[in-house]
Amino acid sequence: MEHLFTNLATALTGWMITLGLSPVWADVILLLVKWIIIITIITLNIIILIWLERKVSAFFQERLGPNRLGPFGIFQTIADAIKLLTKEDIVPSAADKLIFKTAPMFFIVVAVMLYTVIPMGQGMEVINLNIGLLFFISMGSLSTIALLMAGWGSDNKWSLMGAVRSVAQMISYEIPLAFSLLGVVMISGSLNLQDIVAAQDNIWFVILQPIAFLTYFIAATAELNRGPFDMPEAEQELTGGAYTEYTGMRWALFFLAEYTNLVAVSALMATVFLGGWQGPWLPSWLWIIIKTYGVILVFFWVKWTFPRIRMDHLMSFSWKVLVPVSLGNILLTGAGIYFCQWMGWC
Amino acid sequence: MNGQGLIKGLGITLKHFFQKEITEQYPDVMPELATRFRGCLQFEFEKCIACGICVNSCPNNVLSFETEKSENSKKKKLLSYTIDFQYCMFCNLCVEGCPKDCLHFDHDFELSTFSRDDIKRVYLRPAEMDEEKEADAAPVQDEQESKEQKQIDAMLKALQKNPQKILAKMLEQEEDIGILSELMQSNEKTAGKIAELLVKDKEKAAKVAAGFVTKEKKNRLQAEKGGEE
Repeated sequence: MEHLFTNLATALTGWMITLGLSPVWADVILLLVKWIIIITIITLNIIILIWLERKVSAFFQERLGPNRLGPFGIFQTIADAIKLLTKEDIVPSAADKLIFKTAPMFFIVVAVMLYTVIPMGQGMEVINLNIGLLFFISMGSLSTIALLMAGWGSDNKWSLMGAVRSVAQMISYEIPLAFSLLGVVMISGSLNLQDIVAAQDNIWFVILQPIAFLTYFIAATAELNRGPFDMPEAEQELTGGAYTEYTGMRWALFFLAEYTNLVAVSALMATVFLGGWQGPWLPSWLWIIIKTYGVILVFFWVKWTFPRIRMDHLMSFSWKVLVPVSLGNILLTGAGIYFCQWMGWC
Repeated sequence: MNGQGLIKGLGITLKHFFQKEITEQYPDVMPELATRFRGCLQFEFEKCIACGICVNSCPNNVLSFETEKSENSKKKKLLSYTIDFQYCMFCNLCVEGCPKDCLHFDHDFELSTFSRDDIKRVYLRPAEMDEEKEADAAPVQDEQESKEQKQIDAMLKALQKNPQKILAKMLEQEEDIGILSELMQSNEKTAGKIAELLVKDKEKAAKVAAGFVTKEKKNRLQAEKGGEE
C-alpha cells in the first residue's frame, strides 16, 4: 500500500518506454498525468470540503446542515455545482472585460500551482523542487493580483474596496507567514519540502517551533481570506468584496480557488510543522490526507468561532504583533541552533 | 493573559459541536406545541348564544355573525358565524370574552390557503340543530298532557276524599250532591270523568254532573217501582 502510487507511476513510465517513447517524453506525459490527477483530486476535494464546511458550521451552531440530497446531504454540493454551471454568465457592461474574465482563471491557476511542490507521500510530488518552500510562498502571494484584477475589472465600488482590502491584508500577512517558516528552514537547513519532512523524523517542528506554528496559522488564515480575517469578502459590509459582480461559474471558480488554497495551505502546514507524510502503520499518502484534513477542521473551527476583526485592528496586529514575534522567533531559533552546535548536540 | 478569551470561545463552540441539534424537521416531524399555543380559531355552533361579546371584543373585526328572531321565544336564532382569519392577530380576547366557551384556539397552525377567500371561515347553522329543536318541541306537549293528568289525578283524590265540598260548586240541591257522591264511590269511571271535566271545562262538568244526577234519579225511581211490583 505504501508504494501504491509510486509503483503505478514507475510502471506507467516503463510501459511508455516499451512503446518506443524516449524517457524524456515519458516523463512529460507522466507529469501531465500527475496534473490531471491533481486537478481531479482538487475538484473532488472541493465537493467534499464545501459539504464538510456547511455540515461542520451547522454542528457548531446546533443546526443540521444540508440533509436533503443523498445520505447526510452529501450530494448537495454537486447540485450546487450544476446550478452554478447553468447560471447566466453576466459581465457588467462597464467592466474591463479582459481583466474581469481572466481574474478567476488566474486565481485558480495560481491555486493549483501550489500543489506542485507539496509532498503527498514518500517520493510523491509533482516536482521535487529544491526551493519548494520559496516557490510555495511566492505562488501563494500571487493570488493577491488575481483579487486586485477582479476588484479593478468589475468597476464597482464594493469590488474595488474588497480588492484594496485584500491587497493590504495579504501583503501585510505575507511577511509574518514567510518569517514564521524561516525558523523551520533554519533548523532543517533546506527549502526542499521533502527534506523538511525528512528532518522531522524524530520530532515534529510544531514542538520545536510552537511560536512559528501559531504565527503561521494566524497569517495563513489571513492569507486565505477566511474568518475571522475575511474582510476582502465581508458579505455584510462589502456584499462580497471583489466577487460582487461575478456570477455563475466565474464566481464558482473563485470559490473553488479559495478552497484549493485552503487545502494547499493546510497541506503545507501539515508538511512543515506536523511531520508531513510521516506516521506509523498507515501508508504515507493517507497520513498527509489525515493531517491536512485535521488542519482544515481547525480552520473551520476558528472561522465559525470568532467574529470578523476590524480592518485597522487586522493591520496593526500584523505589523505590531506578528512581524516582531516572528522576527523574535528567528532570533531565538538562531540562538538555539548556535547553542546546540556549541554544546555539540547537532 | 492575552488570548485567553479566544481559547474560551473555541471551547464554547466545541461544546456546542457535540451537543444535540435543535433544528425542528418541521414538515417531516411536527413540532411539539405548548398547551396554550394559539393556532386556528375554532367555533362551536351548538354552544353559541349569539350574545355578540366576541364581536365587540375583537380589535380587528375578524368575527361577525347573522341572527334571526325566533318564532316563539325571545332567543335569537344564530344563522351563520364568520371568522375572517386574514385579520386575526391571535390576541385571544374573543376566547376570553366568550361566556359559553364556544371559541377556542387549537394547535393547527398551517393556515395558508391558495386564494384569499379560502381563509375566511364561515360556519353555517347545522341542519341537526333545527331537527333537534323540533324533537324538543314534541316532549313539551307531552309535558302539558302529563301536567293535566297530574291535575286530574289530584282532583280525583280530592273528590274521593271530600266530594260534598267540590260538588257543591256545581250542584245546588243537597239531595243531588248526596246522590252523585254515592254514585262516584260506587263507580270509578264516573268519578274519573267528572274529575277530568272539572280540570278542563267546569261548565261542561256541571252539566254532565246534573245529567248523571237525573239519570241516577230515574234509575232509582224505576228500581222503586220494580220493587213495588
